[in-house]
Amino acid sequence: MPTTKRKVQKSMGDKVFDICNMIFWIIFLIIIIYPLWLIIIASVSDPDAVIAGEVLLWPKDFSMMGYEAVFEHQELLRSYLNSIFYTLAGTALSVVVTLMAAYSLTRKFSGKAFVNMYFVFTMFFTGGLIPQFLMNRSLGLYDTVLLMIIINCVSVWNLMVARTYISTNIPDDLYEAAMIDGADHITYFVKVVLPLSGMIVAVLCVYYGVSRWNDYFTALVYIRDRAKLPLQTVLREILATLTTSTSSDSFFSAYADNIQGMTEAIRKAEVAKYCCIVVSTGPAVLLYVFMQKYFVKGVMIGSLKG
Amino acid sequence: MQTKTVTAAKRGTWVQRFGRAFKNDWQIYLLLLPAMVMVFIFCYLPLYGIQIAFKDYKAVLGITGSPWVGLKNFTDFFSAYYFKRLLANTFLLNLYNLLWSFPVPILLAILLNQFERERFKKFTQTIIYVPHFISTVVMAGMLYLFLSPTNGMVNHLITALGGESIYFMVEPGWFRTLFIATDIWQHAGWNTILYIATLTGIDPGLYEAATIDGASKLQKILHIEIPHLLPIAVMMLILNCGSLLASNTDKALLMQTSGNMATSDIIGVYVYTMGLGKAQFSYTTAIGLSINVINFATIMLVNWISRKLSNTSLF
Repeated sequence: MPTTKRKVQKSMGDKVFDICNMIFWIIFLIIIIYPLWLIIIASVSDPDAVIAGEVLLWPKDFSMMGYEAVFEHQELLRSYLNSIFYTLAGTALSVVVTLMAAYSLTRKFSGKAFVNMYFVFTMFFTGGLIPQFLMNRSLGLYDTVLLMIIINCVSVWNLMVARTYISTNIPDDLYEAAMIDGADHITYFVKVVLPLSGMIVAVLCVYYGVSRWNDYFTALVYIRDRAKLPLQTVLREILATLTTSTSSDSFFSAYADNIQGMTEAIRKAEVAKYCCIVVSTGPAVLLYVFMQKYFVKGVMIGSLKG
Repeated sequence: MQTKTVTAAKRGTWVQRFGRAFKNDWQIYLLLLPAMVMVFIFCYLPLYGIQIAFKDYKAVLGITGSPWVGLKNFTDFFSAYYFKRLLANTFLLNLYNLLWSFPVPILLAILLNQFERERFKKFTQTIIYVPHFISTVVMAGMLYLFLSPTNGMVNHLITALGGESIYFMVEPGWFRTLFIATDIWQHAGWNTILYIATLTGIDPGLYEAATIDGASKLQKILHIEIPHLLPIAVMMLILNCGSLLASNTDKALLMQTSGNMATSDIIGVYVYTMGLGKAQFSYTTAIGLSINVINFATIMLVNWISRKLSNTSLF
């Protein structure tokens, strides 16, 4: 019997619910979007208007002064490049190493129980900040670019998510077939598993990539050479300290010689902070918006099974 | 295919078995090696360094050369005058955070799931995930900018309404509120992913049956969606209980000012400032170790309780 599509009448209660739900979400979305919007419009507004709190819904007295200050800030720009390098190199390394190990954990082999314990144990007991600091220092990794790339290379949590993904999405039949054809583990991994792992690769890239890009603490602890600092650590000095420090001084340095110059610099510095945020976070957010359809589904699957 | 033999004699000595295993699985071991090496360097080597918690570590003497002092570092910490404040600040911050932030993603996921129009659902999801990608530094920076007593938007609003500027970042009473509110603002959206995934897995037949029975949306939420979400929610709760004494040092360090120390001084920040800033390595290692042990014991306890009560548990 053919089923006809009928529009089911919604009850009054349901209609009220839907309206309330819609109102809730509109308010919630405004709460999420407004601060971000405020930052964008403040970054292109005149410093005096921003400081006086006149910038509410639209930019006021359009001005690119803040961005000029940002792009003249040598240390900030260099740290930006550093972060790009650390993030790309570190993430690539992490994803490759994690995937290889995740694949291995889906196979049966002697000593598998030991290896599992080996990884899982570290989720519960860590040395902590100080022992890790001392050990890394004694390994000669203090204040090195190498450390920035390899530190925390493998997250056991991500490893488990990847392992679950591989074991549920790549059927054993493929493995059996490959073994019959005489393939070995590495060949199977490279020729079968990797091509089918697009989604988990995307997920791992996001997890590791975002974590590295946003990390300011590692360099704060381990890096002394200012030329090696990543973006977030430099941003911390500009945005998140109440006292002036080396980096925020850079916004003043060009004007240090006279009082009028100083006030001018302080004016610019406030707007420059908004511009810093846009310049540092903008690309990450845009990247997310364009890539999200690739990894959100993967994150959903990963979080369920993980 | 080799069948597993029964007698120990046939299995051979440990060395022989290792040799056989190696021959069969050497590629697996190769694939595992980089990960195991990395984990060794960054997770197991520091465990070797943990022994300085029981010593009086001096850099010139090295780890092995420093003298043993037994539990002195621990007793020093537990009897310090600031111990209670550190403990209270850390615990309360995590407790309030758990209480306030835990329900939000669940609530959001349920409400979001009520939308029939896919497009609005997708659009909303895109937006609410965005704050998760903002770094902690930028989040703290936003706080300093918006809450500035002279230039911040919030204080402009307050003074326009006739009030006096509030020094948000300097008053201890505001620290926890700001900390938790920004946590929710940033991460509640992203944290819905797990719950939305669970909800999309619910058999549509259940919804249809409920509609035929005349259930309202609220009733469907109560009787279909919440029971489905409960196991996952409990699991997340257990996981979170295991970190009630942990410290979000990254964020607290950025938000801490000399003014709000009374509430913002949490264990993690203390370990950082004393350990690295003042080189009190042994002492802060002992602190870290105590917290680690307590957290581990807690998660085991909560897991056991949950298993006894409801058969849901992590392990």
